Amino acid sequence: MGETITFWVLAVVSVSAALGLVFSRKAVYCALMLGVVMLSLAVLYAVQDAPFLAAVQIIVYTGAVMMLFLFVLMMVGVDSSDSLVETIRGQRFWAMIAGIGFAVLLALAVGQAAIGDPAGVTGANQRAGGNVPALAELIFTRHVFAFEVASALLITAALGAMVLAHRERTRPRPTQKDLAKARFVSGYPGPLPGPGTYARNNAIDMPARLPDGSVSELSVNRVIARHDVEDGRLPDDPELAEAIRQAAAEEEEHNASIAGPKEDR
Amino acid sequence: MELYLPILVLAVLAGGFAVFSVAIAPFTGPKRWNRAKLDAYECGIDPTPQPVGGGRFPLKYMITAMLFIVFDIEIIFLYPWAVAFDQLGVFGLVEMVLFIATVLVAYAYVWRRKGLDWD
Amino acid sequence: MNGAIEAPTIEYGQLMPMLLVFGAAVVGVLIEALAPRYLRKAIHVPVTLLSLAGAFALIILQAVRDGVPEQASAMGAIAVDGPALFIWGVILVLAFISMLLINDDDQFVAQAAAVPGSPEEEDAVAQGGAHTEVYPLALFAIGGMLLFSSANDLLIMFVALEVMSLPLYLLCGLARRRRLLSQEASVKYFLLGAFSSGFFLYGMALVYGFAGTVDLGGISSALASVGGQDSLLYIGVALLGVGLFFKIGAAPFQAWKPDVYQGAPTPITALMASGTLVAAFGAVLRVFWVALGNLDWDWRPVMWAVAILTMVVGAILAITQTDIKRMLAYSSIAHAGFLLIGVIATGDAEQNSGSLSGILFYLLTYGITTVGAFAVVTMVRDAGGEAGHLSRWAGLGKRSPLLAGIFAFFLLAFAGIPLTSGFFGKYAVFAPAVSGGALGLVVVGVISSAVAAFFYVRVIVLMFFSEPAADGPTVALPSVGTAAVVTIAAAATVVLGVFPQPVLDLADQAASALFIR
Repeated sequence: MGETITFWVLAVVSVSAALGLVFSRKAVYCALMLGVVMLSLAVLYAVQDAPFLAAVQIIVYTGAVMMLFLFVLMMVGVDSSDSLVETIRGQRFWAMIAGIGFAVLLALAVGQAAIGDPAGVTGANQRAGGNVPALAELIFTRHVFAFEVASALLITAALGAMVLAHRERTRPRPTQKDLAKARFVSGYPGPLPGPGTYARNNAIDMPARLPDGSVSELSVNRVIARHDVEDGRLPDDPELAEAIRQAAAEEEEHNASIAGPKEDR
Repeated sequence: MELYLPILVLAVLAGGFAVFSVAIAPFTGPKRWNRAKLDAYECGIDPTPQPVGGGRFPLKYMITAMLFIVFDIEIIFLYPWAVAFDQLGVFGLVEMVLFIATVLVAYAYVWRRKGLDWD
Repeated sequence: MNGAIEAPTIEYGQLMPMLLVFGAAVVGVLIEALAPRYLRKAIHVPVTLLSLAGAFALIILQAVRDGVPEQASAMGAIAVDGPALFIWGVILVLAFISMLLINDDDQFVAQAAAVPGSPEEEDAVAQGGAHTEVYPLALFAIGGMLLFSSANDLLIMFVALEVMSLPLYLLCGLARRRRLLSQEASVKYFLLGAFSSGFFLYGMALVYGFAGTVDLGGISSALASVGGQDSLLYIGVALLGVGLFFKIGAAPFQAWKPDVYQGAPTPITALMASGTLVAAFGAVLRVFWVALGNLDWDWRPVMWAVAILTMVVGAILAITQTDIKRMLAYSSIAHAGFLLIGVIATGDAEQNSGSLSGILFYLLTYGITTVGAFAVVTMVRDAGGEAGHLSRWAGLGKRSPLLAGIFAFFLLAFAGIPLTSGFFGKYAVFAPAVSGGALGLVVVGVISSAVAAFFYVRVIVLMFFSEPAADGPTVALPSVGTAAVVTIAAAATVVLGVFPQPVLDLADQAASALFIR
């Protein structure tokens, strides 16, 4: 009874999450939906007397693989969208036809097979005194060589990550002294001036005034300035508004300079 | 099935608490609008300037992620081994030590080549 | 709690060649971890070469002293039978000479994580950085090849497939020059390879659903005893076939080969074109002969179509190529088609061992010639690296007659001209195929050989009968390793073309007992 209820609840949850995964436009939402599908599967495995598979599903898939998905999304850039230009004409159309055809073929074939009553894992579990010991027996006797060789895969994965992503220093790391020198050479060794003192609510978005009464552009938070300019929320004082506009322009410039050599990071 | 009942109850409690906290906040908390509150909070420092597209993470994180997966999979094999430890006897221990030692070589490599240093 | 689980028996003696290679790979990673940078290469080279040579010696020792085992080793996971020992030997020989090429300087990137063309890359090059990880990675790939060709159940075959492919995906992206092309090759190979592994895995699951076992012998006996689930079996076999055909580069799954062969560092291309093909054919034979031998009436028509398509696609598309490495890639596709003829030509035990022996011999001759041809490719250089474009090869025969002559000889061997090893290789595969009733295939094979011969001869004509360009490529003075590779390959191609009998006998002997189950 409990099994049936769990199944129907999870069926709705996982199928709607899967549909959300396919139809969501934001990549991160897709990843989270995938997480929901994986967790539902884990619970289904647990209900089907396969606790080891459930643990693997949660620890490896939901825990590690999902995290890797998210990392890759963030490395590619969350907002970057695919180029939809087809290099081969009609590629997507034919790929879709082929995919649907394959699915139909598979469904027909599996549906047609006279599948008897499922053997289930109950028998195998009882023989070895539980699901996990039964698996242990298989892993550590019949498939022990596959198990040991899997460590070669893990080493290769670690080597690959290091070779492709780890950059050994080719220049010495700048020391505190170098950094201090660079700071003095830059011509402005001190900290930036604090934000404005004439603000009415929160001062962080208001430029400060220097002792002579002029506006200090350095004191404006550039990110907030950009938002202010984009939303058209500039102070009435023309001098302050000009300072904010300048800071926003600098921010744009800075963005362009980061976004330019993207591969360089 | 009975085995999972406490977990289920705990999950319902945790989920209920989360939903309750989020739902109650707009009604009980004070509301004073301020532009700065819309900003990402970074301990009083200026929010790190982000490019318009949301920015990309440096590739360095990849090493962390991959190493996590590698040792995660190693741990998964420890689970059945630990459960069946008494039945497996000495050969199980030897096999597992061999496996861990091999993966440890990868760890030694990453460590010595400063893959774990953040810089 | 139940009683203790019985300890597994592992025949370390029989598995020692493979364990040695894997052990050397692990030692290689330790060297990477512990040795200072300037010593790494000096330690890697002897460890790698000695382990490959030692593994080869162990195989000979095993064959001479203990004979061929009658039963599968390591709890039935690995079959060290006659064909496996022969294939192991071939893989190790090919790996050894490919490794001599890999040793050659200037093939691999100084720092893979640095962006192509960035100041970091210049710094890394100036400081003489090098990824010596190439050695352990190649050893892992070679170990995977050994395991792939001798796997006796589908599970270990899948693990071996990954152990073999994963390092190769990486190595493909490490070329020193034209790095973007190399990285593109790596990504293409990885994506398509992962996709094909997925097909293999799905097929494995369906076949398990049919037979209730992943054991090749078990599947074979399930063919007779399980009824009513044939559709599961057929779909499963088809998906397994997709995974395996991808690895040998049979049409219509050949699309990755030209791109990857062109982009990868040439020594790695040599290793892939020889070792991976040999290992993959070992696995194809095991799946289709051992597990599905009694189903041959069902897979044979499909295999016919695949073989014909592969030969035709390989031979015809090769004509249109303008890059030497791409041309060799299409030639490798065509050769995979020729080898598939041997896989189809089954029959009674005698017929099978004849076909098997032909395939084994062909794998050896083709592999050695391929490594030699790619070694020559590494030596013909422009300012920006290897001179890939065919037009750059014009007049090479006048500039460097010896090198061009050797390359022409390799091409003739690919074409299967008499007095080269390629002739006897083709003969060894085609003759049993005729007696096995695959005459139509042999006709197609001969015709596409003739088409292929056309473009080989075209390259030869280009090298010897056109005027060299004024700014033509230089022929690099070969390092000792490269010179040795070219010499070994040329010598083997001559010897196997003039006096093939001892090796043919050896292949016969290895094939006589067929596969163990």
